Formats: sequence, structure tokens, C-alpha cells
Amino acid sequence: MSLLLAASKGPSIYWYLTRASGAVALVLLTMSLALGVLDVRRFNTVRWPRFVIDGLHRNASLLALVFLVVHIVTTVLDSFVSIPLSAAIIPFINGYRTFWLGLGAVAFDLMLAVLITSMLRQRIGYGAWRAVHWLSYACWPIALAHTFGTGSDASRTWLLAISIGCIATVLAALLARVLPARSARRLATR
Amino acid sequence: MSTELGSTDLAGLPRLLQAIPAQGAMSLAEHLDVHDYPPLARNRRERRGAAALIKRIEQAGLRGRGGAAFPTAVKMRAVAGERGRAVVVINAAEGEPASMKDRTLLQALPHLVLDGGALAAQAVGAQEVILCVAESIAREGPERAIAERHEQLGAGAPRLRLATAPDHYVAGEETALVNHLGGGPALPTFTPPRPFQRGVGRHPTLVSNAETLAHLALIARHGAEWFRELGTASEPGSTLVTLSGPVAYPGVYEIEHGYSLSSLIEAAGGATAELRAVLFGGYAGSWVDGQLLRGLALSDEHLAAHGASLGAGVVLLLSNDACGVAETARVTRWLAQQSARQCGPCLHGLDALASSIEEVASGSARGKTRQRIARFASLARGRGACSHPDGAVRLVLSALEVFAADFADHAKHGICDACRRPGELPLPTRPLPSSFPQTP
Repeated sequence: MSLLLAASKGPSIYWYLTRASGAVALVLLTMSLALGVLDVRRFNTVRWPRFVIDGLHRNASLLALVFLVVHIVTTVLDSFVSIPLSAAIIPFINGYRTFWLGLGAVAFDLMLAVLITSMLRQRIGYGAWRAVHWLSYACWPIALAHTFGTGSDASRTWLLAISIGCIATVLAALLARVLPARSARRLATR
Repeated sequence: MSTELGSTDLAGLPRLLQAIPAQGAMSLAEHLDVHDYPPLARNRRERRGAAALIKRIEQAGLRGRGGAAFPTAVKMRAVAGERGRAVVVINAAEGEPASMKDRTLLQALPHLVLDGGALAAQAVGAQEVILCVAESIAREGPERAIAERHEQLGAGAPRLRLATAPDHYVAGEETALVNHLGGGPALPTFTPPRPFQRGVGRHPTLVSNAETLAHLALIARHGAEWFRELGTASEPGSTLVTLSGPVAYPGVYEIEHGYSLSSLIEAAGGATAELRAVLFGGYAGSWVDGQLLRGLALSDEHLAAHGASLGAGVVLLLSNDACGVAETARVTRWLAQQSARQCGPCLHGLDALASSIEEVASGSARGKTRQRIARFASLARGRGACSHPDGAVRLVLSALEVFAADFADHAKHGICDACRRPGELPLPTRPLPSSFPQTP
């Protein structure tokens, strides 16, 4: 009842929910990526053995998907502009902010691909699973571009702060992914 | 371990172990003298009626004796309901180091088990029965028994064939066994498909524990009513237990479900030391405090109140001279080594669990190790292809409770006097087979 009331006047509760769930999903996606890199680097300590990091990576990813679903459903329900559910899956078919909204659909599709192949890993084999899992590295920047391109909160300090934190985390993770491998190679050729 | 074979002095027992020879195997002729002919179908009309046995097994309430206590009739009906020619696998792999009952049955009373395999095969419409024993036990006995049957029972009876399973813990898990018999490695596979859907050679396959089939052979002869004369309403019949630890005569005993543990210990000549705790079910089982010993009855229903179950019938007594923390650390490390190394939570999770308990045992633990162990346990539980991690978690969590004071002492003062003695629980020291995946 209160939801309906809120929807009828001014900015709807869906609009708030959309923005909040989008921001949370971005943070969780960042966590998932960083933990995934730690996993690949075989990082572990006594308190954080590999299977714990692995489990956290998995849970962060699944939770990101949950928030994405909230993000999508509230966007569709919000009556400010008419965005059909299909636009969340098929990119660039919607009239409203076609490109930037389309990026969101692309990011969602990539996440679904990674999820489905992870669930079917025993069936499709390790090689195919790994190839699709590489798409995660494309998913994150596309999601970030969608966050700023769609623009509802692009100029707000809070979103900027969160995003800078996320970018720093991912850059650190990418460095961790690339650097030791390279220095190891350099050492080996010396 | 000297194996004593016996049953408690109850009327109606022994059933399985009746007339068990003191040495060697019972021949087919002797077996038929004791138990009479198995009611095998000999012609097409009789074979069509063989499925009626499933109904009797259901009425008897027979549950699997391999550890999971799954209703045998449900499994049989599932196999019989599948399309295609079925296969029956008699599971005597017995990877559990504290269990001796299946090898005892196979070595002393092979024909009772083979009767069960043949009768189950006719009931589910299978023409092939594969007897699968551990590599470490002598093949000659089962081989001779199969040859005797082919000579004397030949026509109409299902084909029997002997196979061996590698001596590692997870090889006896049913999907691992099926994978192995189909030419693959003896490692668990993800389910579905379960063996009843697609098993050996992609045929629907009934995998059943050797003791379960021995009970089935007697139910086929004497009926469900007879079977229910012993045991409890929810767990009818008798069962084999492997009793070990500080008792005068450790060994394999046949008891009825619900029999008291103190009577069993008495039947085994009494305890030779003060008892600190009892491990039920096997190395992937649960510890129960020795102070509760007097009131314990040997049934899953009763043991559930203490967080334990009979599992594959293992009852391991731990003396007061042993250190529960050190014993748990050794067994957990062994279980971690027995991981099939296929799934992360098992490979890394059990290793982390074992390391944490070793830290406590050696007194090098820093911080809240107890909480960390409980956290790791909850994160490893329910993950992976088979229930191997769940078993290790069960052992560890029960140890944290039963040996709570010892864990606290070790965290403070390091190793205790009991730790310096050699471990009490027997652990196989066989190297892992080369077919086993190595740590990446």
C-alpha cells in the first residue's frame, strides 16, 4: 500500500531503490573481481585459506546478482520512463538513453554467462568455463561506464567516492594479477 | 587387531554370523546346509515374479549398512523402474579403516553375500552382479566362491564377476565405484546422474553394501516378519558392528538395533581401560563423551540425540590415556589426505581444518583458533561432489564439543602428557595409488 502511494507522487520509491541497488551491485561486483584475482594468485593465509576466499568470491558474485535483479525490477516498475524487462537483457533496444542503458544490459548478460557456465562447469569442462570466466574483466568496466553514463547520480559526491574506491580496488587487483607474473618471468630469463 | 567374531547372547542371534567358520571361508555345500537354497528364480515365469522381493524388503524395513542407512527397497525400485538392463554392484570396498565387517563377511561367509547379490539382481532385472572388494584383501576366497556357484548353481542364476577397488577412502563412495568399474578413476562424480539412472556401462546400477545384501538374502528366505523380530520399529533387524579400542576382544559383532553399548563391551570381555570417549560411525563420524557411555543404545534413533549415528557400524573406544585433541588432529589430517582433490572446499578446506587442529594440539595456536575451526567447518560443509568434507566436519565439530576442555588446555599450555604417547586410533599408512590426482 505504502509503495503504491509513494509511486503516485513525486520521485517514486522505485527510483531510490534503483539507484541504491545499482551502487551496491557495483561494490559487490568490485569485491568479486578483487577476490577472484586473489584466488588466481593463490593468495592465502592461516586465517584466510584459499577455500574461504573462494567461497567469499562466490557469495559476493551471487549477492551482486541479487542486487542487480532488484536494480532491474525497480527500473522496470518505475513509471517515470517506460523501460520493458526485455531491455535489461537485449541491449540497445530501448529509446531512453539507448547507449548507456544498453551497456547495463551487456554487463548483466556477461554476468549471466559467467554464472551459467560456473553452474555447468562439471559438464562443459574447465577450458570452456575459464574462457567464459575471462569475460568478468570486460563486465566490470562496462558496468562502471553504465553507472556514470546513465547519469542519475554521476555528479554526486557519494557515488563518486564509492566509484573511486572501486576503481582503486580493481587497479590494485589488476596489478596483483599482472605484476608478479611478469617479474617472475623476468627473473626466469635473467 | 585380532578379530573376534561373535554375537551377543540374545535369542535369535546370530543371523548373519551363524555357523561362521573359525578359519577360512564357508563352502557352498556348508552354506546350503546351514541356510538352505536361496529362493532364486529358475525359469521365465519365476523371473517375472522376482520383483515381489522388493515389496518384502520394503515391509522388512531394511536400510543400507554402508553408512547412509538409505532404505534398500527405494533404491531397488528406482533401479527396477529404469529402462535398460540393470547391473548390481556388491560394495565391499570398505575404505573405512575402523570397519572390518564387510571383509569379514566376504572372507568367511561369501555365499550369503553372493546370495543377496543374485536375489537382488533378479528382483531388479539385472543379469550381471559385480562383487567389488578392496585391493588389499585376498582375491582367492571370493574367486573360489564365485567358481563354486558357477559350477553348482550355474543355469539361470545371474552372472557373477569379481572386481577390486583401490584402497583409498573415497573409492567406496558409490559414484566413485561406478566410475572405476566403468574404466575411469575411482573418484566421486557429480550427481545427477545417480548410479540408478546411469551406472556401470551406462546401465541402471544398484550399488549395495555387502552386509545389506546378506540381510536381503535372509529376508528372501524367512520373510519380513522374521526380520522385524529383532531390532526397533524404526530400525528393524540385526546389524554388524566393528568394536575396537581398549576391550579384551575387539572384533566384529552381530547385535540387534537398540542393544546397549555397555552390554556389547561386556560381551567383548569388558573394557581394559577407563574410557574417555566413543567414536561412532567411522573416522567421518562423531565423538560422544565417555561419561554418557552407560546410557547409550546402538541405534541411529537413539544416537541422534547425541549428534551421532552408527554409520557403517563402527564403534571405536578411546581410553582415558589418549589425548582427544591429538587423535582428532591425526584423523583429520588423514581425512584431508584422502580427499579426491577434485573440489576446492574439500582439498583446501580439510587441509586448513587439519592445520588449525594441529596448531591447537601442538600449542602453537594464536588467537581464537577454536572459532576459526568452527568457521572453516561451516564453510566446508555441504560443498563438493561427495559428502567427504561433511564427514570430516562432523568429526571436527563433535571433537570441539566432547574435548572442549582439552582444546582450551592445549591452546593455553601446548602439548599434554597423553600427546607424547603414540596415537591410539589405527590409521592405514598405505601410500595413495598413483591413479590418484596429485595436488596441483
